[in-house]
Amino acid sequence: MDIITLAEVSGNLSAIGYGLAAIGPGIGVGIVFGKAIESTARQPELSGKIQTLMWIGFGLIEFLALLGIVAGFIFA
Amino acid sequence: METLAESGIMLFVPKMYDIVWSAVILVIVALFFYKFFLPKFQAVFDERAAKIEGGIAKAEQAQKDADEAKAKYEAQLSNARVEASKIRDDARAEASHIVADARSRAEADASQITASAQRAIASQQQQALVSLKGEVGALATALAGKILGSELQDEKVQSSMIDQMIDSMDSDKQ
Amino acid sequence: MHETLLSGLTLAANGPEIPTVDEFLPPEILFQGTPFAMNRIILVRVVMTVIMLIVLGVSAAKAKLIPGRWQGFIEWAIEYVRDKIVYEVMGETRGKRYVPMITTLFFTILLFNICGIIPGMNIAATATIMMPLAFALWTFVQYWRTACREQGFFAYLKKECIPQGVPAPVLIIAIPIQLLDVVVIRPVSLTVRLFANMLAGHIIVALCFSATQFFLIEAHNWMAAFGAATFVFGFIMTLFEGFVAYLQAFIFATLSTVYINLSYPED
Repeated sequence: MDIITLAEVSGNLSAIGYGLAAIGPGIGVGIVFGKAIESTARQPELSGKIQTLMWIGFGLIEFLALLGIVAGFIFA
Repeated sequence: METLAESGIMLFVPKMYDIVWSAVILVIVALFFYKFFLPKFQAVFDERAAKIEGGIAKAEQAQKDADEAKAKYEAQLSNARVEASKIRDDARAEASHIVADARSRAEADASQITASAQRAIASQQQQALVSLKGEVGALATALAGKILGSELQDEKVQSSMIDQMIDSMDSDKQ
Repeated sequence: MHETLLSGLTLAANGPEIPTVDEFLPPEILFQGTPFAMNRIILVRVVMTVIMLIVLGVSAAKAKLIPGRWQGFIEWAIEYVRDKIVYEVMGETRGKRYVPMITTLFFTILLFNICGIIPGMNIAATATIMMPLAFALWTFVQYWRTACREQGFFAYLKKECIPQGVPAPVLIIAIPIQLLDVVVIRPVSLTVRLFANMLAGHIIVALCFSATQFFLIEAHNWMAAFGAATFVFGFIMTLFEGFVAYLQAFIFATLSTVYINLSYPED
C-alpha cells in the first residue's frame, strides 16, 4: 500500500451534499428560535401564540434538512 | 459502497413485519394509556383535589365555628357585664333605699321619743305646777297668817286671798 | 516515524468496524418470512413495550393518595406533559381531550428512544421507519378528524392554504406549498425527524466506540491516545443521545399538539 492509495478519498459524495443541505436549515432554525425568543422578550403576554408559530416554522424548515437526509439515500 | 446505496433507500421503505409490529404495539400502548394508566392517575389527582378541597372546607367550617363561639362568648360576656352593672345599680339603689328607710325610721323614732319626752315633761311640769300651787298656797297662807298675826279662820277669805295672790303672781309673771 | 505512521495507518486501513445503515436493517431472527417476523430492533421494541407496560402498570395499580418518591416522579412527568405541552399550546378547555394521546406519544417515544443508550439494547426502538410513521399517522388522522369536526373539511383546507394578508401573486407559490404542508410535509417531517435523529445518533455513538475499541485494543501503539479521545467523545455523545431522546419526544409531542390546535378555527 503506497502513500497515493492512502490519500485516496473514498466514501460517498452524498455525505458532502448533506453537509451543504444542512447549512440552510441550520441558519433558518437558528433565526426562527432567535426571533421567537426576541419577540417573547418583547411581548411576554403573547408567548403561547409565538411558541405555536415558532414550532410550525421550525417544522417546515427542519423538513428541508430531513429532505437532505432522504435525498442522500435516494439519489446515491 | 453499492450496498449502502441499495440498502440506504430500504431504510425508508417499511417492511410488512415492521408495519405489523408497529401497529400492534401502538394499539397496545394506546389502549394501556387511554384505558388504564391515565384514568388511574386522574382518579388519584381528583381524589387528592377533593381531599384538599374537603380539608379546606373543614378548616373553614372550624374557623366559622370558632368565630361563632367567640361571638357567642363575647355576647355572653357583654350580657354578663350589663347584668353585673344592673345588679350593682340595684344593690346601690337598694342600699340607699335601706339607708333612707333606716333614716326615716330613726327620725320617726327620734321624733316619737322627743314627743313622748316633751309630753312627759309637760305632764311633770303640770304636776309640779299643781303641787307647787298647793304647797305655795299653803305656805303663803301660813306666811300671810303669821304676818297678819291672825289666823284667817274664814275659809272664804282664805281662798279668796289665795286666788288674789295667784292672780297677782300671774300678772307678775306676765 | 514514517514507519510507525505507516504501520498505524495500515492497521487503520484494515480499519475499525465502521457502522453503516445496514445496522438498521438487521436480519430477521424470529418467525422468518411471516408477517410477524422479528428482527433485532423489533425485539427491542417488544421488550421495551413489555417493560413499560409492567413498570407503569404496576405504578398505576399501586398509585396512592399520598405519593411515594417513584409515584411522585411519574405524576410529575404526567403533569409536565399535560401542563407544559398540551395546555401551554391549546389551553385547558381544548386540550383536555388530547391529553391522553399526547401523553401516550411522549411516554412511548421517550422510552423507545432511551433504548438507544441502554446497554444490551443499544438501538432505539423507534429506529425503523414504521414506528415513527405510525405515530405520525396517528397525529395526521387526529388533526384531520379534528378539522372536519370543528370547521369542516373545506373550510380547514381554505384556511390552511390561503394565508391571510398575502398578496395575490405570492398565493401562486403559497397555495401548493401550504397544501403540500398539510397533506405530506407534516406527517413525513414528523416521521423522518425522529427516525433520522435516532439513526444519526446511533451511528455516531457506534462509530466512536468502535474506533475506541480499535485504537485501544487492536492498535498497540501511540494511537491509544486517539482511543482515549474517541472514548471520551463517545461517552459525551451517549449522554447527548439521552438528551436527544427526550428532545425528540418533546418536539414530536409539541408539534402534534400544534398541528391539532391548527385544526381549530381562529380564536
